[in-house]
Amino acid sequence: MAEIGKVRIRIPSNIKRGDVVRVRSLVIHPMEIVQRRDGKPVDKNYLFIHKVMVEYNGREILQADTTQSISENPFFSFTFKPTEPGMLRITFLDTHGGKYEGTAEIKFT
Amino acid sequence: MLRPGTVFGGGIVFAALLSAACAQTDKASTAGLPPAPWISRAIPEGKGEVKTQPDGKKMQVRYKRAPFAGVPQDWSDYRTYAYDDTRPAPPVSKAPMTQVKGDPARGRRLFLSRAQGPCTGCHLIPGADVWPAGNIGPDLSTYGDRNLPDEFIFTQLYDSRNFFPNTTMPPWGTTGVFKPEELVHIVAFLKTLKGPVPPEKDPDRNPDTRAKPVGFGDNLDPTNNPAVLLAEGAMAVWSKKGPAGKACADCHAGGPEKSMKGAATRYPKYVKAYQRVMSIEDFLTVHAPETTGLQMLSQSADNLNMTMLVKMQSNGMPVGVDISSREAKAAYERGRASFFKKVGQRNHACADCHVKGAGQGAEKFLGGRLLGNAEAGLTRHFPTWRTNFQVVWDMRRRMQWCMTPLGMNMLPADSVEYTELELFLTSFDSGKEMSVPGIRH
Repeated sequence: MAEIGKVRIRIPSNIKRGDVVRVRSLVIHPMEIVQRRDGKPVDKNYLFIHKVMVEYNGREILQADTTQSISENPFFSFTFKPTEPGMLRITFLDTHGGKYEGTAEIKFT
Repeated sequence: MLRPGTVFGGGIVFAALLSAACAQTDKASTAGLPPAPWISRAIPEGKGEVKTQPDGKKMQVRYKRAPFAGVPQDWSDYRTYAYDDTRPAPPVSKAPMTQVKGDPARGRRLFLSRAQGPCTGCHLIPGADVWPAGNIGPDLSTYGDRNLPDEFIFTQLYDSRNFFPNTTMPPWGTTGVFKPEELVHIVAFLKTLKGPVPPEKDPDRNPDTRAKPVGFGDNLDPTNNPAVLLAEGAMAVWSKKGPAGKACADCHAGGPEKSMKGAATRYPKYVKAYQRVMSIEDFLTVHAPETTGLQMLSQSADNLNMTMLVKMQSNGMPVGVDISSREAKAAYERGRASFFKKVGQRNHACADCHVKGAGQGAEKFLGGRLLGNAEAGLTRHFPTWRTNFQVVWDMRRRMQWCMTPLGMNMLPADSVEYTELELFLTSFDSGKEMSVPGIRH
């Protein structure tokens, strides 16, 4: 798989003022799943993304706690209504201290 | 353009004679005529081997994943696209109508039976349980109103070639898919189909009014097509040093973006060193072990992902396969002959489903599937992500799966036969933009 932590964000190419924008984001991450030994979960610090944060122009608009039940290379999609053009920043935090960021600029046409 | 012309048999005979005549004197000039023998370099499930079970039953080794895993049949008895398979098409035959009283209810069940036909794959009849129906053959909703004699309908089902020599309808009785008494039941059922037809409740039931599939969005968007990520993952293989101490990156300077730009537009092409036409997939099976020492068997994950990585560098560029050389031309003609060759238990040719015309399948529904038109070009988005199987298929896996409705055992994924068929098909993509990986249901 491509390098861990690469974030990709896709937004519509044509956004008008007042539109509801659907953002599609994908991060390359192994999202380690629970291992079991003799039917019991192995206790260890699993590597997975546990928090997703979205900021628009510095203001937090979304925060999500995620678990191991989400697949490898997780894909998140959400909508929001920007009132003015600006910078969208999505941050993924994983349990091993990794912090992965991606940005997308929203302009009105 | 797509007509089984005089080259159908002539090309092969000519090529064979020519090479036989020159075999002793001038080897180099006859290279590729006929194709050099090829030992499959595919993964074990992709080799198309037939194994005999302990109980004496033959069984073809197929891929372990769906949909291949669900096909238990062996079709060794029917002819294939293999060039060394000289068996003729099953001869046209007739049978007397069995003196059984036809049962329309049983006939209807047989008409819908997925294990045998199903007839509904091509023909529409009334009924909400007919799902999904196709429209390649005539709509039979009011077939009973034609008042045709029983004997005629029976023979039409038994072997339609008795009346229509070029029909696409399989000879159900001749190849033994339906027993004569089963056909009598179907005859009885067809005679009950009388008008007027009740109004259609669901427009999607009738293939003539059914909505055509719209696709799955941008195939090059990694958030939409998982195959893009798989292809990018091949970068690890690109820079991995093999047992020979070299990586792809050591010879192909500038990364795939620079060194592979436009390369894929020329494939499949005739490769002199191996005396055969090769696609990127085929070429990697020999090129990788010879240079880096790494194995890249046909249909292996490394092979497929690397193929996508290489092909992606030509996205947006027009396909331009070269069939000007004598060898490539001969391969193209053999591929064309395969396209029109009737094979398998169903006695079908590729052309039956992928050429537009009356009684032919292109741009019509086979059951719920909309069939592609070969003249529109079918290859430029391969390898492609299959949304229903969640896996990448290259052109060969697609062809191997096409063998199932033909009732034919699949050939090895990297066989010369499939490559030359792919060359013929790719010639219709010429001038059109590549877009790899594709995304399809």
